[in-house]
Order: sequence, then structure tokens, then C-alpha cells
Amino acid sequence: MTIYSFWLLNVFLFLSQLVLLLMLALRKHRLSEKERTINEQYEDLTESFSSYMMDPADDRFLQEIRSTPHQTVVLQRLLNGYVSVAKGSTTSPLVAQLSEDFLTERYAKQLTRRNWAIRMNTLYFIEDFHMQSLAPMLKEKLRKTTLLDQETQQLLRTLASLNEPETLSVLAQYPDAPVRLYLDIFKRLEEHTRSQELSAALRNETNNKTLKHAAISYIGMAGLIAFLPRIESEMQNKDSEMRIQALKAIFHLQFITDPSLLLPFFQSLSWQERMFASRIAGRLQLSRFKETLSELLGDSVWWVRYSAAEALVQFADGDILIAHLAATHPDRFARDMASQWKSSLLGSEN
Amino acid sequence: MHAFFQIAAYVIIAYMLFSSLSYLLLFLLAFRKVKREDKLDRRESTEDFLGNQNTYPVSILVPAYNEEVGVVSTVRSLLALEYPEKEVIVIDDGSKDQTSERMIEAFNMKQIPFAVRTHIETAEITAIYQSTVFPYIRLIKKANGGKADALNAGVNLSSYPYFCAIDGDSILENDGLLKTMKPIIESDGQIIVTGGSVRIANGSTISRSKVEIIDLPKNPVVLMQIVEYFRAFLIGRLALSHLNILLIVSGAFGVFNKERVIQAGGYNKNTVGEDMELVVRLHRLLREEKSKQRIEYIPDPVCWTEAPESLEVLRSQRIRWQRGLFETLWSHKKMMLNPKYGAIGLVSMPYFLFVELLGAVFEFTGYFIIFGGFFFSLVDPNTAGVLFLVTIFYGSLISALAVLLEELTLHKYPKASHLARLYFWALTEAFWYRPLMVLWRVQGIFAAFQKKAHWGDMKRKGISS
Repeated sequence: MTIYSFWLLNVFLFLSQLVLLLMLALRKHRLSEKERTINEQYEDLTESFSSYMMDPADDRFLQEIRSTPHQTVVLQRLLNGYVSVAKGSTTSPLVAQLSEDFLTERYAKQLTRRNWAIRMNTLYFIEDFHMQSLAPMLKEKLRKTTLLDQETQQLLRTLASLNEPETLSVLAQYPDAPVRLYLDIFKRLEEHTRSQELSAALRNETNNKTLKHAAISYIGMAGLIAFLPRIESEMQNKDSEMRIQALKAIFHLQFITDPSLLLPFFQSLSWQERMFASRIAGRLQLSRFKETLSELLGDSVWWVRYSAAEALVQFADGDILIAHLAATHPDRFARDMASQWKSSLLGSEN
Repeated sequence: MHAFFQIAAYVIIAYMLFSSLSYLLLFLLAFRKVKREDKLDRRESTEDFLGNQNTYPVSILVPAYNEEVGVVSTVRSLLALEYPEKEVIVIDDGSKDQTSERMIEAFNMKQIPFAVRTHIETAEITAIYQSTVFPYIRLIKKANGGKADALNAGVNLSSYPYFCAIDGDSILENDGLLKTMKPIIESDGQIIVTGGSVRIANGSTISRSKVEIIDLPKNPVVLMQIVEYFRAFLIGRLALSHLNILLIVSGAFGVFNKERVIQAGGYNKNTVGEDMELVVRLHRLLREEKSKQRIEYIPDPVCWTEAPESLEVLRSQRIRWQRGLFETLWSHKKMMLNPKYGAIGLVSMPYFLFVELLGAVFEFTGYFIIFGGFFFSLVDPNTAGVLFLVTIFYGSLISALAVLLEELTLHKYPKASHLARLYFWALTEAFWYRPLMVLWRVQGIFAAFQKKAHWGDMKRKGISS
């Protein structure tokens, strides 16, 4: 290789970064220009948009948005701002109407774009704006997928927000589908559909453990007290995982028809069951279990000791109880745990 | 003599070619990933987690040693973080200044005798305080034991399944924690560590614990570090993480699965590079268990930190980093080129050994040969000059590509003139910054032989006003 080829290499390296710099600078300039005009139009339209959303009779906004050059981007931003701030806006017929009128065509095109990020954004917005008209297209898209990747997961969530319960059966086709996704779907379905699906999941005719697990978990989190009898019957399930989920749900529901249902769990071999039973006893202030809780304060597992102490301090005389146990409990670890809780009580009173 | 120079020169040239190509390769890998997510609406993709009860709660650990200037504003910025359930634990590692007093005063803290569950042995804990205003802020006062020891104490006291380690003088962006936890939640726990980007705050305006205006500093020493961080984070880490062979998650900002960390034995007190050492140990654990769990870097969540402005402080920082790197590679030498550890042993460890650690030695020898060559008239000045130009332009091209990645991912710097300035300084790198780095990194290797762990003695001005 001669020295000239190195010179050539130098020229090439130098020029390539010069070109890169120019391209980047140009791109930066163009993007900030575009951003500026979009922002201007956004600002200009905010006022008429707000009054239209409050009173659709004032249709200045509709005329203005029609003549806006960056129509879809500006409307998307206005609607997105509105749904993230205004209460109950997720089901607003005006949002649905505006997005159906102005965004449907664009979104339908974007869903078939090669760029993954654009497809993802579109799915997020369809969900936010509840664009029912795109549901058939999304279902078609779902039918064609075979992989539970990020896009499919969002597709399922978007469809669930459009109240499409078959998302659950599609998800069930993936054996590795996580509980989290089932929960995401339950959360998005409309109340009536959701209740039906939860009942079906609890019956578990399809023998889908994850789905049932998710249903119990959701009932607890959402506080659906109507399902209490079903949850209580799950406390006797043979499967320990289901029992734990049922206990967790009871803990969240903060209600139990017959406290004696808890009895076997304090002696359970599984420490999670002992822990949840203790936590329930505390939260529901079941004073008949005070004795049991004092015993569990000396449990071999740290979490059970912790939860037993936490439960004890929730009783009206909890501070006296815990101070007494800190001094007199035969187990050293129990005394430690009790003194820790005693002092945390001091901290919160200050 | 001549023959010796010839051979040495070939070795150096071969090395330079190898390391340059490895960087280009890493860039291509990083570019693919960045391009895919370029247009993604980040806000939309995380907003669902905000009100979600399934979002795992996180303990935020802030180890602090003589951080009286920044600690309160760091904690304030952490309070403003959008996250459903979190707790903040500041660990005062035997500071000689008013670190604890500032915390106690600012958050109205009261001492609480708290039984700590000792997962990992640490230096003695002298007191634990809890804020009466925000009960989820706690402060551990302990005897000095080094940063690793402080973090271990924080792990012991933390009550949540994940912890986020953040430096005492850093500012995390509001949605930073949410974005860092997103991959962990979405992978259902398959990702056990995530690290975000660390950016240099010098030059930007930060008020009320929030980055208000992003600008470049005037000091060339800091400007060069900005370019360097771009390269390290956006090219290096992104590409290595893509292959699941990332060995460093910055000590300044990362989220860890607590159970896994405890299983691995916590942070190692005997190294100054405790952040890297822990990640390597976790990789080792995963490979030995044949686990499919991953360690991931995500470019988007950003943590702002203060970079050294004087050469003297920068020098001690770099010597410490290099020493940490050496110690980590040495204590895990068993993994080096060991097929049992898969790509970590075969690619990552050798990469860090030859490019990141010994790179400085090769370059140092290169300078030596050039000077020696001139002295003994063995090198033609013209040839040497042209070759030198090649290294300059190549180096700055890589920096330029890193700036390109920053433009595609976060484009935090608002003006085109910012880009031009970064470009200009990248071109000057080979004349002053690079030789200094090479020298200090060689010193760092020597320093590794004289063991004595201590905190970096950086003079903080405080980045928040």
C-alpha cells in the first residue's frame, strides 16, 4: 500500500464525517422547524379545541382543523393531551368521533408500515382514542401473528380496550403467556364483559392455570366483592399456588365471611400461606387470632415474623401487645422483630 | 534494533486495526437497535405502568460520602420520580462533612432503632433515621467502609424486591425509573439488571432538581468527556447489551434484582470497580446456572451527573476506573476464553482485556515507537504523519457516529451549533485528550498493584441551583 492510498483514506474519513455533520445539522434544523410549526398550530387550536370538547355546538374547531397543514399530528396531540388529563375521557364519544373522522385512514396505513416504532405508536393511540372502526383490521392482524412479541402484546391490549373478549382465547394459545398480560386484558374490558370472562376463568373449563391465577389476582386488586364466595372456595383448592392467590385476594378485598376459614393456614407448611393468613388477620382486625399471631412472631421465616408483628400492631391495643412481646417472648428473633415494630411505631407518631 | 521496531510497529498496527474494526462493528450493532426504536413514543409506551399495581416496588439506594452539597437535591429529585411505589435510602458512609445533618434537617428526620435483616455483612451501622414528612425516606449512618459496603448496607435495609443504585450527586429524570423498570416488568423478571444512560450535566441549567435547559459547557475537558460518554454508552453498551454480554452497568444509575444480588454475595468491598465486578459476578452466576436471565442497557432513561472539570480530578477518576477494570478482570480470570461462559468468556472478557484495559498499553507503546523511530531515523516523518492523520480522522469518525446515535435516540441537545462544537472537539482529541487518557490508564494498571480502596475524592460544586 502506498502512502497515497493513506492520503486517500484520510480524505475519505474527513469528508465522510463532514457529510455526516452537514446531514445531522440539516436534519436538526428541519426537525426543529417542523416541531416549531406544529407547536404553533397546536397553540392556535387549543382554545377552540377546548370549547368544542365542552360544547360541540361551537364547531369553530372543526373548520380550523380542516385547514391545518399538520392536521393529523396536531389533532393527535390535542386528543392525547385531553385523554391524559380529562376525567372519564377514555370513553368520550367526542374523542372517538374526532379520531374516527380524521385519523382512521392514516392509522390504517400506519399499521401496515414497515417501521416497528410507528406501528407501536399507532396501537397506543388507537387504544387511547378508542377507535372502534379499526377493530376488524386489528383482529385480522392478530390472526396472522404467531409470536407473542412486544407488538402482539400491545395489539392484545389495544383490542381488549375495544372490548374484544376473544383476546383472552388468543392469548391462551401461547402457553408461556404471563399473568401480567391477562391482567392487562381484564383491566381493559368493559365491566359486563369482564365479569363474564372472570366467571369463565374461575370455572376454568379450558384448564388454563395462568388465566385462573390472573382472574383471582384481578378480583383482589380491583376489589370485586361480588366474587367473594368464589374466592373463598378457592381457599380450599388442592393447588397451593391457587390458595395463595385466593389469600392474596382476600387480603385486598378486606373481607371474609367466615374467619375460621383461615385457621388451617396458620399451621400450613408453606410460609407464604402463613404470611398471608397473618396479614389478613391484621388487616381485618380478627382479634381471635391474637394468640396465634404471637406464636407466629417466633416463626422460622423472617417474612412470617414480620407480617405477624405488622398484624399485631394494627389492633387497637397493638402498641401495648408488641411492647409486651418485645420484652417477654421466649424466642429471641420474635423479641427482635417486636422491638423493631415497637420503634417504627414511635417513628410514625412523631 | 531496526527489526525490533519493525515487529513492534506491526503488532501495534495490527492491534489498532483490530480495535478500530471492533468499534465499527459495535456501532453497526447499536445502529440497528436504535433505528428500530427511533420513532417510538416513549411516553405512550410507559404510561400504562404508572397506575399499575403489578409494577414492582423499588428501593432507591443513594450511597453518599462527603456529599453535603448535592445529597438533598438528589433526594428531592428522587421524590419527584414518577413511580407507583418506592422508598429512598441514603447511606452516609462515615462522611466527615455535614451529609447526615443536611438530610436530617431537610426532611425532618428522627432516629429509629430498626432491626436490619443482615443479608450481607457490612461495617457497623451507627443509626437509622426516618423522615417524619415522607416516611419512605430513610438514612443509614454507618462507619466508613467504602461505596460497596455502603450499598450492601442499603440492600440489607431495603424492603422491596428491586433496588436502584444512584450516585449521591446525580439527578434522575422524572420518568427515568419507570423507563428503567419497563424491561424488567415486561420480561416478567427475566431481566435482572438494567442500566440507563449517564449524561454530563455541566453546562446545563438545573433548578429545583430538574434539568431545565440543556446546553454544552465551555470547558474543553468536560466537552471531551461528553463525547466520550456518548461513545461508551451509545456505541459500546448498546451493542454489548444487544448480545447479552454487557459487563458494565454504571454505578451512577442501575436497577438490580435484590435476590440475585444477595445470591451473588452483594457488592465486593475489595475493588474500586464494584459496579462492574458485581455485573460480571451476576453474569457468572447466570452462566453457571445456565439461566436465561439477562442484563440489559437501555439508552433512554437518563441520569445527569457532574463530571470533573479539572485535569487533576479527572486523572484520579480514570486511574480508579482502570484499576477497577483490572481488578474485576483479574478476579474473574477463570472466565477468560472459557467456553463454559459462552459469549461472556469468549467475546466480552477478551474485549475488555485487550481493548479497554490493554488498549492503553498498546497505544502507549505506539507513541513510544513513533518518538523512538524519529530519534533513530527509523521512521519516515511523512509516513508517520499520514498514519497519525488516519488515526485522528478515524477516531473522530467514531465520535461522529456516536453523536449520530445520540441524535437518533434522545437528541437532547437542541441546537445545530451544539453538534458542530462536539464535532470540533472530537477532532482535537488525538492531540491532547487521548494521550492524557492513555497515560492515566497505564498508571491505573500500576495502581491496581498497590491496593487501597477509597472513595473518589471529587470536589463537588453541586449541579443544582
